[in-house]
Amino acid sequence: MEPLTWFGAYGSSFGPLLLVLATLAITCGLCAALLAFIDNTPRASFSLFNGVAVLLLLLVGFTYVYGGLTGAEGGAMPLSTLGWMLGTLAALAVFAAMLAWFLDNFFDNPAAFMGILFKWAIYGVGAVVVLWLVVTLLWQGAAHKEWLAGFDAADMPPAEEIARHRYISRLESLGILANVAIRFTPVWIALVVLYGVSIRYKRRLGLYGKLFDSVIGMIGFGLVMFWVFTALFVGVFDMIATHAALEQASGMKNKLPGTPLMRAGPEEFPFYLLGGDNLARDIFSRMVYGSTIVIQIAPLATLFAFMVGITLGLPAGYYSGKLDTALSFLANLILAFPVILLFYLLVTPEIVQTGLPQYMAMVLFLFPLVFMGVLIQSRFRTQPQKNVIWIAVVLIPLFLLYAAAINDGGPDSKIRFWPLDFFDIPPGILVVFVAVVFVNSPTVFRIVRGLVMDIQTRDYVAAAQTRGERPWYIMLWEILPNARGPLIVDFCLRIGYTTILLGTLGFFGLGLPPESPDWGTTINEGRKLLSIYPHPALPPAFALLSLVLGLNLLADGLREESLKD
Amino acid sequence: MPKIHDYDGPILEIDKLSISFFTRLHEIPAVMDFSVKVSPGEAVGLVGESGCGKSTVALGVMRDLGKNGRIVGGSVKFKGRDMAALSDAELRNLRGNEIAMIYQEPMASLNPAMRIGKQLMEVPMIHEGLSEHESYQRALEVVTDVKLPDPERILRSYPHQLSGGQQQRIVIAMALMSKPSLLILDEPTTALDVTVEAAVVELVKDLGKKYGTSMLFISHNLGLVLETCDRICVMYSGEAVERGDIETVFNNMQHPYTQALFRSIPLPGADKNSRPLVAIPGNFPLPHERPPGCNFGPRCDYFQAGLCDQDDITMKDVDGDGLHETRCLRFRDIDWNAPITLAQTKTKGEIGRVVLKMDNLKKYYEVAANALFGGGEKRVVKANETLSFEARESETLAIVGESGCGKSTFAKVLMGLETATDGEILLDGKNIEQIPIDKRDTKTVADIQMVFQNPFDTLNPSMAVGSQIMRALDIFGIGKNDAERRTRMLELLDLVKLPREFADRMPRQLSGGQKQRVGIARAFAGGARIVVADEPVSALDVSVQAAVTDLLMEIQRNEKTTLLFISHDLSIVRYLSDRVMVMYLGHVVELGSTDEVFSPPYHPYTEALLSAVPIADTHVTKKHIVLEGDIPSAMNPPSGCPFQTRCGWKSRVPGNLCEEEVPPVRQLKPGHQIKCHLSDEELANMEPVIKFGQEAAE
Ligand SMILES: Nc1ncnc2c1ncn2[C@@H]1O[C@H](COP(=O)(O)OP(=O)(O)OP(=O)(O)O)[C@@H](O)[C@H]1O
Ligand code: SF4
Ligand code: SF4
Ligand SMILES: [Mg+2]
Repeated sequence: MEPLTWFGAYGSSFGPLLLVLATLAITCGLCAALLAFIDNTPRASFSLFNGVAVLLLLLVGFTYVYGGLTGAEGGAMPLSTLGWMLGTLAALAVFAAMLAWFLDNFFDNPAAFMGILFKWAIYGVGAVVVLWLVVTLLWQGAAHKEWLAGFDAADMPPAEEIARHRYISRLESLGILANVAIRFTPVWIALVVLYGVSIRYKRRLGLYGKLFDSVIGMIGFGLVMFWVFTALFVGVFDMIATHAALEQASGMKNKLPGTPLMRAGPEEFPFYLLGGDNLARDIFSRMVYGSTIVIQIAPLATLFAFMVGITLGLPAGYYSGKLDTALSFLANLILAFPVILLFYLLVTPEIVQTGLPQYMAMVLFLFPLVFMGVLIQSRFRTQPQKNVIWIAVVLIPLFLLYAAAINDGGPDSKIRFWPLDFFDIPPGILVVFVAVVFVNSPTVFRIVRGLVMDIQTRDYVAAAQTRGERPWYIMLWEILPNARGPLIVDFCLRIGYTTILLGTLGFFGLGLPPESPDWGTTINEGRKLLSIYPHPALPPAFALLSLVLGLNLLADGLREESLKD
Repeated sequence: MPKIHDYDGPILEIDKLSISFFTRLHEIPAVMDFSVKVSPGEAVGLVGESGCGKSTVALGVMRDLGKNGRIVGGSVKFKGRDMAALSDAELRNLRGNEIAMIYQEPMASLNPAMRIGKQLMEVPMIHEGLSEHESYQRALEVVTDVKLPDPERILRSYPHQLSGGQQQRIVIAMALMSKPSLLILDEPTTALDVTVEAAVVELVKDLGKKYGTSMLFISHNLGLVLETCDRICVMYSGEAVERGDIETVFNNMQHPYTQALFRSIPLPGADKNSRPLVAIPGNFPLPHERPPGCNFGPRCDYFQAGLCDQDDITMKDVDGDGLHETRCLRFRDIDWNAPITLAQTKTKGEIGRVVLKMDNLKKYYEVAANALFGGGEKRVVKANETLSFEARESETLAIVGESGCGKSTFAKVLMGLETATDGEILLDGKNIEQIPIDKRDTKTVADIQMVFQNPFDTLNPSMAVGSQIMRALDIFGIGKNDAERRTRMLELLDLVKLPREFADRMPRQLSGGQKQRVGIARAFAGGARIVVADEPVSALDVSVQAAVTDLLMEIQRNEKTTLLFISHDLSIVRYLSDRVMVMYLGHVVELGSTDEVFSPPYHPYTEALLSAVPIADTHVTKKHIVLEGDIPSAMNPPSGCPFQTRCGWKSRVPGNLCEEEVPPVRQLKPGHQIKCHLSDEELANMEPVIKFGQEAAE
């Protein structure tokens, strides 16, 4: 079998065109950004991080495209090429800067002009990609037909062989990119349905609906939902991935993208789409599996951090005084500690042995219970019956979950008093979780505290006080809902940080086990051989970058939209 | 940079100006077909309700409309030159050098991190290239001109070290530094107290004369415009509806909106029975929901279907001399002198027994003298000093005073948010002054409720209107279940004359007046017997104020509520209250029935307040009293009489009594008390502040 090429059978006709358009897009985009920066127009508010992330994404994509066009064997791409590409990009940037300066002298609004050019170049890239996909998909059987024609009617190969050949020649003519795109089919469908429904009913969907008025927000939301759906389809239905996360295939160690398997079983996918890592596992599948871990931990850990931060930040801001001084001091103390050091401390075996993470989990996991309890109690204070029902309905399941979560049947476990311990959190994940919640909650605390101090001066708070509402009702029902705008935005950003943090942790070999497919760990594994084989580290890096970028754009979009109205 | 000299035509000519803002959904025409001319040395007033486009006109003149605003028609000529034809550099030079603008919020124009002197000197140094020394001299001169004490010290201080009134004077000084030919003032005194406002307005008038500056004075206050301007332009919903000399427009108005505006403000000359307030029905149309034909049509008493709702209406000349114009098709058919038809005469409820009694109430706050380290020395702020009064059933007691006088503190103590330092509050004979709100029983809490000042802040933005009222019912223990509470809530909406559909609306979908009505419904949810209304209408537009005031009075009549009406607006106080209590720096300086307080003898502070309130009536002449300086801080009150730092009568009191001793409370008549050292003869010889018609002509 031949290795897969990036663009498949028709790549040579579309590749150069794509390259030209992409170069144009990058130049114009850079140019517009620079001009906007010079003029200090609102476009420059596009944050530095997002700019860098976009550039990196472009760089990685560009490198692959270039590698695909020049490399004789699939994605051959030594590091020198990468360096060369970086150089080219730098040259493009300088060129863009000069162009920007030049245009600034001769045009009235060069940034807008460049922006339009950028837009059209991007449209061009899109059009070429669509055209290429259509052509590739329509004529994917051509090679197979040719092969069949080479046989006489008499000595036709057996039917299985024909079927197998048809299958493989299709994959070959599609190329790596189209195959990857096709693997994600369920995700595309889900995204199209979600966007269709959301845009149709956007006027009725509040802030979520308004997101679809902002291009930035839509792009960000799309990127985020892409990975959420991926995690869902991989985690629940086991779709998308071509191989198992830990499966090793002989002879596939560090193989380049598109390499065929040596002895593929009849049911097996016969290629490693994005190559193999240093333990001969499929990089593409590992990246896809990694999403489930990231998508599970990051939002949940952030949610817990918010519960802790809100439950403590509300009274600190509301009562101020001594309570505030004490809590703020504590928060600053935690914040003053270097995060990585804290993590090292928390995951040291000796510390884990003492059961500290478990005890911390015991405290930190209690906050959602407290939060929900107070929320209900304050609301239905005057209606005892409803109060009891609600508390029972919400708190009993929560308590069961809580008890099961902090109890652990493992041999080193310090807490195991609960008979109904129906699930265990893997110790590595628990440590990571606790650590992430612990370092994030002080910041949330400070934001909430500041918001409360501001909102507290409003007349509706005074009105609640004068009709004799209790402090917790005022905090939770009068103040908190009106602080939601900034909190939602911060939530998005914080999921991003948490994702990076998880990556960093994995990168330092902290927390999750070394074979875990999560992105941080895989990037770290790939990093070791980066100078010889860059390809194992790039896909998870690309994934992480796109998710965080998506979250940032989403937060930007939400902020922008919540300011309108 | 040179100025444009030798030009003697009008300074500013706005001709058929149209300005739109562009949002994603639609174009919002904020100003349409707006024309006005400002001659040299002339002051033109621009009045209208909030949202009618006044500020947009000002920003349009400055060409500072932001990202999404655009001039879509017409022209603005400054000294004969079309502003659209100017380059950016020329415009920049024009702004600040020839046209200066003063905003409502003084701090918006000042750099908090720069000394006042430096900020002032920058102007001529940049625009005229004056030397540092010359600029300093100029700065000193204008600061003296704006009547700030100790100019050299002021020049050395930072903005935050000055009071609001002083900051606004600095902003005016800054505007005058370049000796502009046109000054645009956008609600320059709204953030200030009445007595301070009066002084600033006086200053602006004098400076206008001294420097020969033309002015475009934007305000929603007709009285203020009357005091400051030569000509007036009334705006409604993006259009100028009437334009002319101030006297002509005030005495011989030719547009139904102008007439409705005047009918909705309380004038001191008229009493509430012969000239009741008439609210303008309906609401101000949103810019993209304007009706066809006349914008005022849906609210106009003279509306004629088939005529007024057809084509766009243009300005028409009233007398043929081009001096008085109106945008009404029927102005010739309307009998402008017809008396106001009374819907019904309302009889005031019988004033009943005493419900609330305050006796020698004191509220002191202890604040740390040293903010940074907390401990150590404590300072006492006397927010309320010996407050005594009684309030009866169905009575309206007005509490009048400027910021820092202790009105809010008093309300807090009454509501139980703070406990009193000394003295008594008796509700139905029971002491409540030491019971904080969470210890009070539901009945007591429900009995005393409050209506807040800022309509945009009074409702929780995240909760539907109905739920908020139902929550109050729930807390006050009314209704056995949600269904009963819902019924009661709908009845409350009826009570405040809001449609029942509003129950499911979110507060942001309501106008200011509607929100205030919801606030009133919420206050009455538990059948409140005492309602503290803290400036309930001052943040509302004039046309809505009357309706909300009427509503409050009507509910009071039916429910026999005791209304404690906190306000600084003496016109409205005179209109609706039975008794008035005037406060200054925590002291009650005068207390009496409305007639007693509003006629001599006055307490000197009451006299100054009366004189400061602008009156939109050309037949009224006021005694002119301008108070020096600002209200002292309660942290650092003057010795002796609290008012002695600004009092104009102090010299008539023998010796240094005013500075040494707090004056005793004196009963002038049963029920009328003042706190002043002035002798009985001096008091008896006081003249009324306001004189009407023939009286004034004498
Ligand atoms: N919690 C407090 N601590 C210290 N001083 C206070 C406190 N609350 C009020 N004061 C002081 O008491 C004085 C009276 O304040 P208060 O708020 O009652 O004035 P006000 O008449 O309501 O003013 P405004 O019209 O501006 O609201 C002010 O000087 C204020 O600084
Ligand atoms: S044109 Fe008609 S509706 Fe408009 S103000 Fe005149 S009378 Fe009223
Ligand atoms: S006591 Fe003296 S200072 Fe005070 S108000 Fe009377 S005259 Fe003025
Ligand atoms: Mg106040």
